[in-house]
Amino acid sequence: MRPVGAPVVEPLLSVRGLNISWFSQQGRRNHVVNEVSFDLASGETLGIAGESGSGKSTLARALLGHARGGSRIESGSILLGGRDLVSLAPKALAELRGRDVAMVPQNPLSSLTFHLRVGAQVEEVLRHRAGLSPKAASLRSLELLTEMGLSEPEKLAQRYPHQLSGGQRQRVVLACALACDPALLVLDEPTTALDKTTEAQVLELIQRLRRARRGAMVLVTHDLNVIAEICDRVMVMQHGKVVEEGPVQQVFGAPAQPYTRLLLGSALRVDGASEAQPCSHGSTLLEGAGLGFSYARPSLLLRRASTPTPTLTDINFSLGRGEVLGVIGESGSGKTTLGGLVTGFLAPERGVLRFDGAALAGRAGARSIEHRRRIQMVFQDPLSSLNPRRRVGDQVARPMRLFHGLDKRKAEARTVQLFDELGLNADLLTRFPRQLSGGQQQRVAIARAFAAEPDLLVCDEITSALDASVQAQLLDQLAAMQRRAGTALLLITHDLTVIWRMASRVIVMRSGCILEQGETNAVFRTPSNPYTAALLDAATRATRVAEPAFAGV
Amino acid sequence: MKALLRNPACLIGVLLVVLHLVVAIGAPWVAPYAPTSLLDAPLEPPSATYWLGTDDLGRDAFSRLLWGGRVAMLVAFAAGIIAVIGGAVLGLSAAFMRGAFDDCMLRLVEMKLAVPTILFVAIFVTGFGQSIPILILAIGIIQMMGVIRTTRAAGIVLMEQGYVRAAQLNGESGPKIILRELLPNVADLMAVEFALRASSALLLVSALSFLGLGISPPTPDWGLMVEDAMALLDSEPHLVLAPALAISTLVLGINLAAEGLAEALGLDAARGGASG
Repeated sequence: MRPVGAPVVEPLLSVRGLNISWFSQQGRRNHVVNEVSFDLASGETLGIAGESGSGKSTLARALLGHARGGSRIESGSILLGGRDLVSLAPKALAELRGRDVAMVPQNPLSSLTFHLRVGAQVEEVLRHRAGLSPKAASLRSLELLTEMGLSEPEKLAQRYPHQLSGGQRQRVVLACALACDPALLVLDEPTTALDKTTEAQVLELIQRLRRARRGAMVLVTHDLNVIAEICDRVMVMQHGKVVEEGPVQQVFGAPAQPYTRLLLGSALRVDGASEAQPCSHGSTLLEGAGLGFSYARPSLLLRRASTPTPTLTDINFSLGRGEVLGVIGESGSGKTTLGGLVTGFLAPERGVLRFDGAALAGRAGARSIEHRRRIQMVFQDPLSSLNPRRRVGDQVARPMRLFHGLDKRKAEARTVQLFDELGLNADLLTRFPRQLSGGQQQRVAIARAFAAEPDLLVCDEITSALDASVQAQLLDQLAAMQRRAGTALLLITHDLTVIWRMASRVIVMRSGCILEQGETNAVFRTPSNPYTAALLDAATRATRVAEPAFAGV
Repeated sequence: MKALLRNPACLIGVLLVVLHLVVAIGAPWVAPYAPTSLLDAPLEPPSATYWLGTDDLGRDAFSRLLWGGRVAMLVAFAAGIIAVIGGAVLGLSAAFMRGAFDDCMLRLVEMKLAVPTILFVAIFVTGFGQSIPILILAIGIIQMMGVIRTTRAAGIVLMEQGYVRAAQLNGESGPKIILRELLPNVADLMAVEFALRASSALLLVSALSFLGLGISPPTPDWGLMVEDAMALLDSEPHLVLAPALAISTLVLGINLAAEGLAEALGLDAARGGASG
């Protein structure tokens, strides 16, 4: 941010009236970026926030003068150091890239060439972009890798991308991007593919680089917490348009636009009590004792396991009737495997699951029909959880006919009732899944699960494919349904906000083990495990940034 | 459908197929002479009376050309239907069951790659007798192998989908899952496969007739016509060229239509066309 009264300097980057359209094969035009204008001065960091489809990544690419296949920069200008990237010849543009503006894309594995040693990839940039001699490039690349916080750079430079961890890869990509000390660095979801612990370390590095360099940075992300940590200013985008722009503290502290408030509403704020109502009816419904599972099978041909697979070890938990139990964990923590054991998609190798006092068979096929009915599941991806070739009404009616033997008319009446409870119009019954929005699809999937009148519903990341606005509504409806029917929920998610809103108790998982479990209020306020504390710290930055105590950071 | 017809190559393909179908169905009314009647005028050159002349037995070549696709097309389409329906059921069952059944299916598919198609059909026909139903069955079975492979691959992807998992967790029976959840979702693949298998079957049946293993004389057939006129290739080339052209335009038409269909349905068009 420029201090008040400072002399007006020419901004490094100046985007004016930018319009980018994408053309479908049928020739239909889709406005991806709509009249976007902003300035960025040297040394500033701008965060671009928005949900998927908001045009933020398209905008990020345009800052390198690049338009994705099928899309075109239609009008406007992107002035970088006085030169307009929109009208620049391809050759001049290519020279500019890497030297004046560089990008760090989301997935570090696909942005590194897999068959070249990583050291050579950094050297390549130095030789061809900075014009260094091979010897100088080699020395400089080692320096860069050290600057990126990588220990033993000589050894590391000799490795191939797949031999590095995700965090190391992203550091190498950063080294490539910063090799020519570009005036503008564009980061597109730089930490989304990383786990929370690595994310914190990489963000720390980006923060350090930002302070050390004079250049400007544009950081594109859907995660407001990342913006809160790194950026001076934030620009919120929706449907290709800028909704709100300003200093982070101001926008996050006092959002002027309803959409910004909505996005911030989906960020975690641990104050007051958890909204979840403890509604355990005393008796235990589901109990896991000493559960263990591993995907790796002993193989005679392969001496070592090709990839570390999520394995569960010694899982003990219990879930009361009508209770909502949250399971938090990152990808690879084994939370989905746990859900698979409960639903009967997988059979435990060790330990027992007890459901309503009786032992639960491993695979769903081996369970009694009553057990299959009483445990239902809702999946992550709403579209793939519905059969695209069958009308949604029929799909919801199917479990009623299968489990309750309802005839066609009764099943239809019950489906209408379920649709109504979930806020779905009865007109939608005869539609096919593709004709529904993502939120509607997921509600149909929930209706199908409730059609069996289950006692336990396993929800695996059911909101992660949905927009923030739809998420909140869906969770409210699910909570209402759950309370009315007295169904217990096993809510598996990486999103702490969902747990805070919905679950009265929570399990924190990592690497197949339970680190911590207890009342959500207690765990979130006074986490006893450093990992839980780190998760909470990362998830609450956006809501804490507005508070005075946080301002100095 | 609109997108189908907007593609010029596909439009040509559809027109060629429709033309052939109309001619084959209408042959009894359109053809100037009966295809098997001997006109006492062997090896007439093309004229206003005999548009393509007559063959060595004095039969009108043009009438035989119009009639000659009927049986071959019947065999090709019937074999295509057998191949697609049988292949889809077996392929999806393999994807659903995996394990030993899947292994058997894969070995069957691989065996087809090792045995020349013509040889298989020739042995089959020799063993079970040379009749149209046997021919349809033999070609249908051999074409089925490719369909098993593609539908099995599609089925394995579908098995990972939430709706199939949900049905499995609810304890739906295997046949129900295959028929309700899997089969409708490979319908477009089956449509394209049908077109490709039918064109390939047509080539195969013509080749077999040419070799004397397919349709038997005196039934008018393009493959037979080519074979009959081979000896006269020097003096009467049109007697070979006309039926050959008929075969190739029909095969080309089906392949163009299939490719356009695959493209319109977003399937991999580079599946490879017909092979004899």
